[in-house]
Amino acid sequence: MAASTGSAGRAWNRSHAFALGLAPALVVLAAITLGPAIYLVVTSLTPLNLVDPKSALDFSHPLGNYRDALTDSRFLNSVWVQAKLSVATVVLQLAAGLAVALLLNAHSRVLEAIRTAFLIPMVLPPIVVAVIWKVIYTPDVSPLHRALAAIGLPLGSLITNAGTAIWAIVVAETWEWFPFTMLMTLAALQMIPNDPLEAAAIDGANRWQLFRYIVLPYVRPTLVVCGLFRLIDSIKAFPLIYVLTNGGPGTATEVTNYYGFVQAFNFSYWGYGSAIATMMVAGVFLLSLLVGRLDRGVGNRD
Amino acid sequence: MTSHAAALAQPPRAQPRVSPRSIRRILLLGAAVTLLLLVLFPFVWMLQMSLRPNDDIMGYNLRFVPTLENYRALWTGNFPKSFANSVAASLTSTVLSLAIGVPAAYALSRWRFRARRAVAMWILATRMAPPIAFTIPFFLAYRYLHLLDTVTGLAIIYLTFNLALVIWMMQSFFDSVPRELEEAAWIDGCTIWGAFRRIALPLAAPGVAATGVLCFILSWNDFFFALILTRTQAMTAPVAIVNFMQYEGWEWGKIAAAGSLVMLPVIVFTFFVRSYLVRGLLAGGLKE
Repeated sequence: MAASTGSAGRAWNRSHAFALGLAPALVVLAAITLGPAIYLVVTSLTPLNLVDPKSALDFSHPLGNYRDALTDSRFLNSVWVQAKLSVATVVLQLAAGLAVALLLNAHSRVLEAIRTAFLIPMVLPPIVVAVIWKVIYTPDVSPLHRALAAIGLPLGSLITNAGTAIWAIVVAETWEWFPFTMLMTLAALQMIPNDPLEAAAIDGANRWQLFRYIVLPYVRPTLVVCGLFRLIDSIKAFPLIYVLTNGGPGTATEVTNYYGFVQAFNFSYWGYGSAIATMMVAGVFLLSLLVGRLDRGVGNRD
Repeated sequence: MTSHAAALAQPPRAQPRVSPRSIRRILLLGAAVTLLLLVLFPFVWMLQMSLRPNDDIMGYNLRFVPTLENYRALWTGNFPKSFANSVAASLTSTVLSLAIGVPAAYALSRWRFRARRAVAMWILATRMAPPIAFTIPFFLAYRYLHLLDTVTGLAIIYLTFNLALVIWMMQSFFDSVPRELEEAAWIDGCTIWGAFRRIALPLAAPGVAATGVLCFILSWNDFFFALILTRTQAMTAPVAIVNFMQYEGWEWGKIAAAGSLVMLPVIVFTFFVRSYLVRGLLAGGLKE
């Protein structure tokens, strides 16, 4: 294939060169994502565990782990805890993010600096967020508990109480992630044209009406995408739970991700852990499809 | 709440005396600052704890003499080693994913082929998968490959999120570089990758830098993979912090100091890439 034998040869050479550039990445990606994905699904069909390593190739009851999961009350509980945590944190993040964005949406140097400072919780390493809230939630060292005691309202530890532990995590998770919605909403607010706002103001619309009928419709697609992104990410929640409650008290804060971790790495039931992980991947995949569809919907409106 | 509506309706101009609008502006700024202080209070509290003398670690009197004794205690223990492990694993993974991912992103940007969309979807999907799904197979495979508790093993598993991020972000950077210059170079006899190296890559250099920083932050922030795949030799700084809590008793000063040290590089780097943050975030979330 001589390089200079006409345009067909050149085009072929070009494709060849591009393919060479793309190939290493695709090979590595396949090795580190497709390979493990297949391995995960295969393992989920076996009873593989530490005690019986030979069980890696035991496919006599391929769906045994999945059947077990459906009757495992601890697993079902973890799905319920996950649902509570995800819905509560996403709703609170959207509300807080939108409110702060509306407050900060004006042209000013000072506000710009404040906007940047509000991003701090989101960019902190998750383990640092966990340490920060461990301090706040540990009565011995907590400024919050001390202040409440000083005004005569002593408060028991929130993270060792089965009724409040999940809400303590919801607060910390919301704190960590509301800046995401704030950032995205601020970007959307800057795109709102002035004309409809002015026209409505001239027609005597009050501030609530301006928000409800003009601002909200403009930012709604952004909020929906934010909510779905955060919903998917909330399924990965780990460091906060690991450090604050360790899934406890009992199983009060044991989300599905955490339960899979416990089964696979505390009890070494890798087969069962893989089945839980496979179901999580399927769930996340369905949510992603939804994001893709909505994302396109948002794009079409522009 | 929608004060911007009024603010935008008229161009700002100098006010002769205190008007209702400037009063509202001051109130707004006051509210914003108050809210910021409230929100950042837990963060600031950890910082001040790290600077407090150990015998007064639980004190709440803010008039204390700051000391570095907690940081000094960290320096003499095992923490510097885990900090170095974090740097090594994050840097290795960043360099590897840039080396493999940048040419791939360029090919995806310039080369029209049939499976292009499918490849893009696959890359995005890897960003969405929960880490536990990667961890079990990697853990089982690493037991045989003797990669458990090694920095190399960590750097490889960090590729699962870094490589996708590099391809995703760099493709859009290359898309915004005009292709006419490269096409002219091709006609002049330059090879595809020669034109890439001499023209497209230098033009996209700021994008490469920003992407590299994001990769570093993502790897640096990892806790889950390092918790499972390391024990003692390759333990990273975030795991070391948890060990302070679980095994070494509750030395709050040390814990706060370690937390402050771990977040320092992230805060500094974020400042440099904040304008690219949204793009990176939308590629599937900044943290795992």
